[in-house]
Amino acid sequence: MVECLTGKKVLMKGNYAIANAAVIAGCDCYFGYPITPQSEIGEFMSGKMQELGRAYVSAESELAAINMCIGACSTGKKAMTSSSSCAISLMQEGLSYATSDELPIVLISVMRGGPGLGNIFPSQGDYNQATIGGGDGDYKLIVLSPSNVQEAIDLTYKTFYLAHKYRNPAMLLADGLLGQMMEPVEFGKYPYAEIDNSSWALSGAKGRNPRIIRSYSPTEGPQCEHIRHLFDKYKQLEENEVMYEELYTDDADLLVLSFGSLSRNVKAAIKQLRDQGMKIGFFRPITLFPFPNKRLNELSRKVKKFLTIEVNMGQMVRDVRLAVNGNVPVEFYGKPVGSWPSVEDLQTAIERAMI
Amino acid sequence: METQVFKVPDSFKKDFKYTFCPGCDHGVAIRLVAEVMDELGIRENTIAATSIGCSVTIYDFLNIDAIEAPHGRALAVATGVKRATPDKFVFTYQGDGDFASIGLAESLHSALRGECLSSICINNTTYGMTGGQLGPTTLLGQVTTTSPTGRNVEYYGYPIKIAEHVALCDGTAFSARVSLDTIANIRKAKQAIKKAFEVQLNGLGFGFVEILSTCPTNWRMSPEKAHERVRNEMMPIFVPGIYKDITSKGNN
Amino acid sequence: MEKNFVIAGFGGQGVLLAGEVLANAFMIDNKNVTWYPSYGAEMRGGTVNCEVVMSDDEVSSVNKRETDFIIVLNQASFDKFENKVKKGGYLIVNTSLAEKKQNRADIHYVFAPISEMAEKLGNVKMANMLALGLLLKASGLLSVDILEKALDMVLPPHRKNLLPLNKNAMEIGYKYDLFALNC
Repeated sequence: MVECLTGKKVLMKGNYAIANAAVIAGCDCYFGYPITPQSEIGEFMSGKMQELGRAYVSAESELAAINMCIGACSTGKKAMTSSSSCAISLMQEGLSYATSDELPIVLISVMRGGPGLGNIFPSQGDYNQATIGGGDGDYKLIVLSPSNVQEAIDLTYKTFYLAHKYRNPAMLLADGLLGQMMEPVEFGKYPYAEIDNSSWALSGAKGRNPRIIRSYSPTEGPQCEHIRHLFDKYKQLEENEVMYEELYTDDADLLVLSFGSLSRNVKAAIKQLRDQGMKIGFFRPITLFPFPNKRLNELSRKVKKFLTIEVNMGQMVRDVRLAVNGNVPVEFYGKPVGSWPSVEDLQTAIERAMI
Repeated sequence: METQVFKVPDSFKKDFKYTFCPGCDHGVAIRLVAEVMDELGIRENTIAATSIGCSVTIYDFLNIDAIEAPHGRALAVATGVKRATPDKFVFTYQGDGDFASIGLAESLHSALRGECLSSICINNTTYGMTGGQLGPTTLLGQVTTTSPTGRNVEYYGYPIKIAEHVALCDGTAFSARVSLDTIANIRKAKQAIKKAFEVQLNGLGFGFVEILSTCPTNWRMSPEKAHERVRNEMMPIFVPGIYKDITSKGNN
Repeated sequence: MEKNFVIAGFGGQGVLLAGEVLANAFMIDNKNVTWYPSYGAEMRGGTVNCEVVMSDDEVSSVNKRETDFIIVLNQASFDKFENKVKKGGYLIVNTSLAEKKQNRADIHYVFAPISEMAEKLGNVKMANMLALGLLLKASGLLSVDILEKALDMVLPPHRKNLLPLNKNAMEIGYKYDLFALNC
């Protein structure tokens, strides 16, 4: 199926598209625990990975799943897990370890409603969970945010690539809407070069000194050095890997920002308002970390106002405010959880911000 | 005539220096692991998943690749290593708190899945590195820093019998409890470790050894008294023996 | 141009499959399209529905406030969706399982005893494909040919034997006089 998928258009659910893309990206090991609205990923992987002779474990918990990823990645293999919101919470410890261990775990997060058990409807309430995280210490995940099913595939490839290139856990942050919707998609071949990890992967200490992958550092000096090294990587990410989508910014008075699949509703609302002559620009960060700070700061010197729209109570808006550093007012419009605001509601909200 | 030579096993790092407290059984247990690795010739093909607590330091002494797991997750990490590279020899070395309290789910599910892994669990009835708190194996009546008047059932419930629980899992190929209080028992312990390693090498399933050990510092005892405690207080509750061995019909 | 469709009924009526066939048909017709199911608590009993949005550009959104074409296969769906039809839009009603009632003057009602017609064809389960035929005629957006191709893509190999029957159902739906029951 991996072969026969490439090069033709098929209608596919977001979750299956992500899972197929992971298989095409060469994922060697999948470890997971079911949770709505991403269960199709694990269901698909259970059959496909066995069919291909790759590793699959129905983990006893998300704690176990993320730690199985730690083990598999320590051998240099491509390993992933997928989960959602309250269950990603359980993985925070493992992600903190994996970041310090410099292990390229790929994590698919399909957001549902929170906090707590919340509900199974779409939400963007885990922007903070993804970009700030709940694990201990100074660390960052690479976070990519797709807006449609085709982009979910392309960014799944990229998530694998960046995780391995920078030896850092990387997350594809999707949402229940994207996971459940079907759209026509095409699978190309995995477009990135394979990263050589023979210099650090565990393989048994044969003909070389033993390798220890660990986060524990009993003395201050090496620990400081290690964390500085991690942040050097984050700086490189900010310099080389920022991705965003930008429309109508040349003449915009108001710049409207959103991320993920919600940005399509926002874009449609802006297009209609522009048809009425309103000078509104659109901006969508695709990499949530590294965040497009530089570009937003540039734009904050050209436009009069920013409006950030999210289905949460205002999470990305904090990053936007940091990026513009007081150059322009940054307003927020949102709702906590559930179906995305309609294009009509968004038009009203954007028009109100124009005043 | 065969010559017996007492030497440091090859599986140790050349310049290793134990950092355990005097009289602690970790040193003996790790030496047994090293000797068995030498005898089976597996050092260069081994990846260990270590745990949190005193047991984590095993990677400072053995000349092997290792990944440090978060507290309790050693067998999940080991599962990941083994599934990713099934040709490697993969083992965990954990304390009782790591294996049987915070990591009980990971431990038993690895055994239930029949993962071809080997696992050593050091049972010293306390959290050693953290300073002697009550753990899952703390005996009834035992005074610890979090059971100041002794473990009572009302507040703390009962200690867990690990080797018996592991033996109940259908994926377990070998489960034994041993002690290190006498030379004879140390010999038995080594045989058990070897068996737990061999079942993995032969693809038979999960191999497990619970080692009753001393913690003289937190028990506030001399090494000699500590071994007497193992014998007189621990062994009647945690009875040494082979609880499952699918390679030997008579022993089950 | 962007048009959206909702197909609603109870579990077992093949609502999600009908939506999938429709979405595939738009894909074959080189349109952008998004299929989105109702999911969650609603899946257990009650109504099931899915939305299909086709567009010449990128599909802007799902869960739209208003819908151009809605098929309701039972009464509960009629009650839930009659008010969601866009002004000038179409509500296609399965009168075998829903009342023939017109509460609005600003939309088109298409009444047809869809389940009974399917039963006459030999299998009540073909109601969904019959309804798609009706929808096709009402919307004028696709040819029956393309719809049949789409069905062929969606049916798994072990169900391909049902293809002729379902195609027949689509054609019967397509040939139906849309406003036959309106007076």
